[in-house]
Amino acid sequence: MIKFILIVNKLGQTRLAQYYTTGLSINKRVALENEITRRCLSRKDKECSFLEFRDLKVIYRRYASLFFLVGVDEEENELGILEFIHCLVETLDKYFENVCELDLMFNIDKAYMILDEMALNGNIIETNKKNIIAPLHIIDQVSKKLK
Amino acid sequence: MSMQVRDLIKAVRGCKTAQKIREVITRESALIRNSFRKEDKINRPRNIYKLIYIHMLGFPSEFGQLECLKLIANPSYIGKRIGYLGLSILVTENQEVLFMSTNIIRNDLSSEDRYVVGLALAALGNIGSPEMLRDLAPEIEKLMESESSYLKKKATLVAIRTIRLVPESVDRFIGKVRTLIGEKNHGVVLTGLQLVLSIVKTEPETIVKFRKLVPGLVRMLKSLVNAGYSSEYDFRGTADPFLQYNILRLLRYLGEGSKKSSKLMADILTQVGTSGGISKNVEIAILYEAVSTILSIESDSKLRVTAINTLSRFLSGRHNNSKYVALNTLLKAVNTEPKSLKRHRKVIVECLKDKDISIRRRALDLVFGIMDKKNVESLTQELLDCLPKAEKEFRYDITAKICTAIEKFSPNDKWQIDTLIKVLTIGGQYIRDDVSSMMTSVIGRNPDLQYYTSKKLFNILLDDRYRNQTFLQVSSWVIGEYGDILMQKSEKDGELINTTQALDLFQILLESSRTTDETKYYILTALIKFSTRIEGYDELIKKIIKPYREHVNVELQQRACEFFLLFDYNEIRDPILDRMPIFVEKEIELEIEEEVSENINKGENNDIQKNTQIIQNQINVNQNIQTVQNTQNTGINELLMLNTETKKTQPQNKQDSLNFLQEIFSGSGSRSNNNNNNMNNNNNNNNNKTGGQGLGLDLGLGLGLGLGMNNQSQRQNQMQTQRQTQQNQMQNQRQTQQNQRQINQNQNQNKNQNQSQNKSQNQNQNQQKVQNQPFVVYEKNGIKIEMNFKVGNIRGTPAVMSIIKTTNISSIPISNYLLQVAVPKTLKAQLSQPSGQTIPPNGNGLVNQQLQIIKLVQQKTQLSILLRVTYVINGQKIVENKEVSNIPIFF
Repeated sequence: MIKFILIVNKLGQTRLAQYYTTGLSINKRVALENEITRRCLSRKDKECSFLEFRDLKVIYRRYASLFFLVGVDEEENELGILEFIHCLVETLDKYFENVCELDLMFNIDKAYMILDEMALNGNIIETNKKNIIAPLHIIDQVSKKLK
Repeated sequence: MSMQVRDLIKAVRGCKTAQKIREVITRESALIRNSFRKEDKINRPRNIYKLIYIHMLGFPSEFGQLECLKLIANPSYIGKRIGYLGLSILVTENQEVLFMSTNIIRNDLSSEDRYVVGLALAALGNIGSPEMLRDLAPEIEKLMESESSYLKKKATLVAIRTIRLVPESVDRFIGKVRTLIGEKNHGVVLTGLQLVLSIVKTEPETIVKFRKLVPGLVRMLKSLVNAGYSSEYDFRGTADPFLQYNILRLLRYLGEGSKKSSKLMADILTQVGTSGGISKNVEIAILYEAVSTILSIESDSKLRVTAINTLSRFLSGRHNNSKYVALNTLLKAVNTEPKSLKRHRKVIVECLKDKDISIRRRALDLVFGIMDKKNVESLTQELLDCLPKAEKEFRYDITAKICTAIEKFSPNDKWQIDTLIKVLTIGGQYIRDDVSSMMTSVIGRNPDLQYYTSKKLFNILLDDRYRNQTFLQVSSWVIGEYGDILMQKSEKDGELINTTQALDLFQILLESSRTTDETKYYILTALIKFSTRIEGYDELIKKIIKPYREHVNVELQQRACEFFLLFDYNEIRDPILDRMPIFVEKEIELEIEEEVSENINKGENNDIQKNTQIIQNQINVNQNIQTVQNTQNTGINELLMLNTETKKTQPQNKQDSLNFLQEIFSGSGSRSNNNNNNMNNNNNNNNNKTGGQGLGLDLGLGLGLGLGMNNQSQRQNQMQTQRQTQQNQMQNQRQTQQNQRQINQNQNQNKNQNQSQNKSQNQNQNQQKVQNQPFVVYEKNGIKIEMNFKVGNIRGTPAVMSIIKTTNISSIPISNYLLQVAVPKTLKAQLSQPSGQTIPPNGNGLVNQQLQIIKLVQQKTQLSILLRVTYVINGQKIVENKEVSNIPIFF
């Protein structure tokens, strides 16, 4: 099960955070993000993409200036999650056309929607890019008409 | 007027310091709050949007929660979208707001617009509280049958959340599984599989029912594997890897414990587990899941060996990620597949040299896992080889593992000493503290090796005297303690070692600024010991010690003063600085005790049984003595009376215990001292045979007390304590000094000592109390698992040691027995390998396992353990969980 998904930039600033666990106060959350990000950023390219943090495993992958971090429980397939991260990035890329940090910042709602289409309650729902983006396109069309 | 979202983000990005960001956010939050108060409907979505951003930066945003409700109640889709987003991000804990949202969500779930329903489901899936989910369960159930696969998969995930938070609702969803898995849409099937997984995890009894799915799942997997390229769910040439590995995971749950189901999957698992390449991440992900499944289910040994070989292929590959998962999986297989694992020793050892610390750590664990009595020497050598290059933290890990390996598998004491010396010299300062105590204890019990070790250490010191402090401490202790043996034998062997050389060396070390004060304590003690070990050097030693009487370090000064004064009391100097008693390690003690009780159970060895009783008898004496102590009766007559009392209560063993006491009390002065020595030796001998060292220790303390009460023999008392407080030899040394201090002061000594001894005795008694009660933690199908507990210390941390005994009184043999334990996060448990996997019937044998639990936090914790027992009886695999929380142990 996925416990959280984080997107942070290389300065360690959170750009997107989705938690699937309850009971995390905002202070604890910020502390957790800081700690994980710090450890992730300090790792070298050649090291493996996993780090153990308390009772969680954090799987991370770097794309240009953005780090994608996914915290999972003991049972989850680490390599599968790496593939999921890649799928997420490809989907974001497809929707935003060459996604960059600013796209996420200024369209955080869309980014969250994409994530919600892909994973819910810590489980993966959909991994087909076309299916994921379809509802978003409909929303975009509706809002254009409204304007 | 508050600003646009875009402007807020820009403003924050423009800030150079965290302080500035805080200012901008505080200002903006105030404006948003104002706008909320004014019920500004037009700007509400924008404000919530901004709050989401503010929340992500880690600033408070609770005041927007109610506004989210207002937004989702809004009929417009755009408003709802932001509202639900806000709801799932901002409102995580506030039960009240969540409760209020229930009705709005219920309305939206029955909306005609499927995207609105989708939004409501997404929010429910991310934040739904147990109450909400219980209320909305009928709606969710209905939506799982919806025609739209878009809604179906989302509703299924909400169902998974419902099962997780409201486990009793599981029955509601069991019936839905078959249709979901039979769907064409991959998303729906994927969620369906995850639903089964969550049902199976919540209610393990359902596994039997779900086994019917196996043929279908196998077919599905087969078509995916053989599909080749399918445009819709293709991931770099692999058809829907997520679906594939979820099927494999479900198969793992269904195959565990069922030979029939396992057989059904064998073919496809062989195909998946052997055919895939290992160049792409996707392929490895599936292979990895397949291998885990093969190792968990009841596969035949051939398939298991292939699985281990595949993992070994990962290890020799170039991808660090696959190395990591392979090591992790192999670690899980350590107990079940030790043989085939050992064949891959070379690749595993190679991973110790990897650049990545995570991989090296895993490899270290695994190397330790495959260690046994046969390969311990070569594997330890491998570990020693990578020690010099390792970084500080990892060095500590390695030395810790080496120490444990020595404790568990050491083939002989000479090897143990050699390895420990290597650890001391190579490991530098990053070594576990108990290396030194382990070293001293092994030398202490091996008179043959005392010369060998001290010579070796001395020569290393001569070569390079600026070694690390731990090494200096250990070597000065050893050279001081066995100085006489070293000098006498080396003279005979024609070695170029002499006392002047040793004293010079000590003097140089004492004067060196690179020697820490703590090390200097050890050196001073070594010097004073030298004075009793070898004659004729008193003046020289005095000269070396003298300047330290004015040393700025109080402890050093005190030692120097006391040692210096000791030269005036020649008649007591010798006994005070006599050889240290043999140190007994707690863990070893536990093991031997176990053997004793085992033997008694079998009734095989009457002698041992008798011996144990003797020891127990001695404890009684001890306890009696202590009672006397408590009531402050300090007469020798009282003790003798107690003596007779014991005679009455334990007539069969009176001789032995009485003899001890009588000998002591009849003697006086130095004779009594000698007797004590003898007695101690006797004790040790006894203990070596019977294994009750811990009990022997009690006796020692008790007798020390007995003597202490006789005011005329205070002197013996000091020697006695010194000799008999067998906690730790290194500590013991300090104790000696404390005692010497007391000679000088000669005040209140009885009181103090007695108090401290009382304490330690009380502790011992408590421990014994708990120790004596075995707990039956599991009793079913004739299998009985008993645990006994003992509170103690492991490497300075409070710990509970336990021996787990499993017997089988039924008439059917038990095979594949496996016990797993889990403890709360505040504790850490370490379970040794069981003495066997099969338990013969009719109570004709038992399986032993040792459990160590150490505490990770400061607070007092009650011990609670979760056990998982797995075994096969009558060809049927049984897995059961059992929580043991009624253990009256706080530590």
